[in-house]
Amino acid sequence: MPFGIKPGHRARASRRRLSPFRSLVLVALAISLSAVAGGLAYFIPAAATAIQETGQVVSVPSPSPTSILFSPSPSPSPAEQGAFTVLLLGSDDDSKFSADHVLTQSMILVRVLPATKEVTMLSIPRDLYVHLSTGGYGKIDGAYSYGAAGAAIATVEQDFGVHVDDYIWVGLLGLIKVIDAIGGIDIVTSSPVMDDYYPADIYSGNPFGYQRVAVLAGPQHLDGIHAMEYVRSRHSDLQSDFGRSKRQQQVLQAIRVKSKQLAPSDIPALAAAIGGEMKTSIGLDKVARLVPLAATFDNPDAIRQVLLLPPYTHGGGPDGSVTPNWGAILPLVHQYFP
Amino acid sequence: MILSRFLLAVGLAILMVVTGVSSYMYLGSRQSKVVAPPQKPTAATPRGQAFALPGTIYLEQSGALYRFSAGRFHQLTPEDGWTQPALYPDGSHLLAVKRSGFFSDVYVLTPYGGVTSQLTNNVAPPRSSWDTGANAWSFYPRLSPDQGTLWMSYDGPKTAGAGYFDVDLAVWAVPLGGSIRQGKAWTTANNYTGGDVQPVPVPGGIIYTKYTYDPAGNRTGQLWFTNRAGSPGRALTSTAASCLQPSISPDGGNLAMICTYQKQISYLTVATWNGSSLGALRTLITDQLVAEPIWAPDGSGIAYLAPGGPASPFQLWFLPKNAYNPPPPSPIPTPTPTPGGPHNGPLPTPTPPALPTPPPVRPIQVTSNLGFDASSPLAWMP
Repeated sequence: MPFGIKPGHRARASRRRLSPFRSLVLVALAISLSAVAGGLAYFIPAAATAIQETGQVVSVPSPSPTSILFSPSPSPSPAEQGAFTVLLLGSDDDSKFSADHVLTQSMILVRVLPATKEVTMLSIPRDLYVHLSTGGYGKIDGAYSYGAAGAAIATVEQDFGVHVDDYIWVGLLGLIKVIDAIGGIDIVTSSPVMDDYYPADIYSGNPFGYQRVAVLAGPQHLDGIHAMEYVRSRHSDLQSDFGRSKRQQQVLQAIRVKSKQLAPSDIPALAAAIGGEMKTSIGLDKVARLVPLAATFDNPDAIRQVLLLPPYTHGGGPDGSVTPNWGAILPLVHQYFP
Repeated sequence: MILSRFLLAVGLAILMVVTGVSSYMYLGSRQSKVVAPPQKPTAATPRGQAFALPGTIYLEQSGALYRFSAGRFHQLTPEDGWTQPALYPDGSHLLAVKRSGFFSDVYVLTPYGGVTSQLTNNVAPPRSSWDTGANAWSFYPRLSPDQGTLWMSYDGPKTAGAGYFDVDLAVWAVPLGGSIRQGKAWTTANNYTGGDVQPVPVPGGIIYTKYTYDPAGNRTGQLWFTNRAGSPGRALTSTAASCLQPSISPDGGNLAMICTYQKQISYLTVATWNGSSLGALRTLITDQLVAEPIWAPDGSGIAYLAPGGPASPFQLWFLPKNAYNPPPPSPIPTPTPTPGGPHNGPLPTPTPPALPTPPPVRPIQVTSNLGFDASSPLAWMP
């Protein structure tokens, strides 16, 4: 008998514990706790992935003062309230390269204006010959390989005179898995995309192999692998990388449309698909704010797509690169990315 | 008392396990249906009142050909790259494409899926097997009305080691059963466009989709008609309308197509066809992503593929004829004056009763939860 408890007290306590009311409370408590536990078990893997892949700390070297071409306006207009800019990076992540030393085959600068529900997507040609933040000149797709996301952001900031708030990096395999995880996308392919020398570097086991691709024209439902073929091929396009950028923007919009059909219960499967194939500097708290915001962007005409076609750029640069015409590019960029 | 407490504890433990697992499973079951993979047509639960179309429709899902007849599906081939079925004009056989990773070939099949013969041989020769570009594609096979000529889109002949990045399909005509050497390229594709596709034999020539760059540099589709080999013929639609996937009506007097207007939309469109030119485009459906329209052989409507819901896989739909060719209104009955005695003065003009406006005819969704390949034309046998 525990010290200090009298026999009469113990008997009364036992009777209280076994009363129907207390039993009911216990049952209700047990049901509530176990239901919450089941829910946690369902969502915890997704939360772990989210914590792991979001809020990546990125070190952006400060650009030299002379390279700051446009300073942000001190008092943003009402339309600019809450506006932010994200750099989307899409990479080869196959065995040709070591992790974090990959080229960014796709670079899209996205400006979101929550107040007016407008989005501007500027595709940066991967072959654009620029001053790299890590030193020297080269194609802009190499910036990430020299210094990860920080170098890619710094290069874009210093050359385009913009401020990048956050970045999202997605590997090729990640894009395939994401599209499969959301059940595919509907898209109108604007022409047959034919390629006899498409890199077979994802599932073939030979990162230097080739395969043939024929994505036929018209409306269709694409799974991840075929959507990837559609956005990645550039050999059969007279506009080469620019045509590919256009297709990438189509697929991004199709993903956005499909994402609006998803339910919270789909998050774990999506997180499992993304696992390891996506990194972002956007923190979880900001993601939580952005998800409901994204659902309100329902006007496709409010999504502006900008490509740096000639006269903004022209070919013939070193090593097959594209030479920027900064005199034309910077006013255009400043118009949409103040 | 101790036993009661023990039983309560055991009961609570079991209850917690059951509730926890149920909660987990419930959340799993609440995943949105848009993520669920399509069902096999033969496994899909038939609806209580399945909508039956006249005749038999051939279509493709996941690399297998299916026939849809009397409201039920029958699988004709295994899921092995089969696509783009087309009927012999006499209905005795099917043409279909079998596609592998590197090439595709045209085959002749019985209406029940048995392979009768292979009409093309597009695999690279063994001595060129190292070169992926030495393989070729054949797509969109059609037979001429006399069943003597195979029409198709073809990106050959290929030369090993050429290393060309420009791969464009052209419309070819090959004697049925003959080799590609006996064939003739009827069109010359525009470079770096994807080429000329979807040939439809019509009296006096072919209608096909030609891809081109418009003045703004956008790749776009355009319907063309040509009546002789080597000549592109003339454009039937504008580059701005961006029309493709032509389908000629059974009486040969109308053309169905889709027009995308260079956007992520696809409108079902029809126009009259007089054998040489197209009438004004009439848009019938604007709120769906329409693909592969085909006329019913009995003229009762147009079948097509379109998503079953927002951003979801493609289902079979049917637009009844009344939607685009409504019956003429019934004559308005002329009211007669009430008979009576001698009448001086003008008779009152009776007001005819207002006719109720007929409800608009909407498309009918024939299937659900399936996932047809919207880049594979449909074939429809009476």
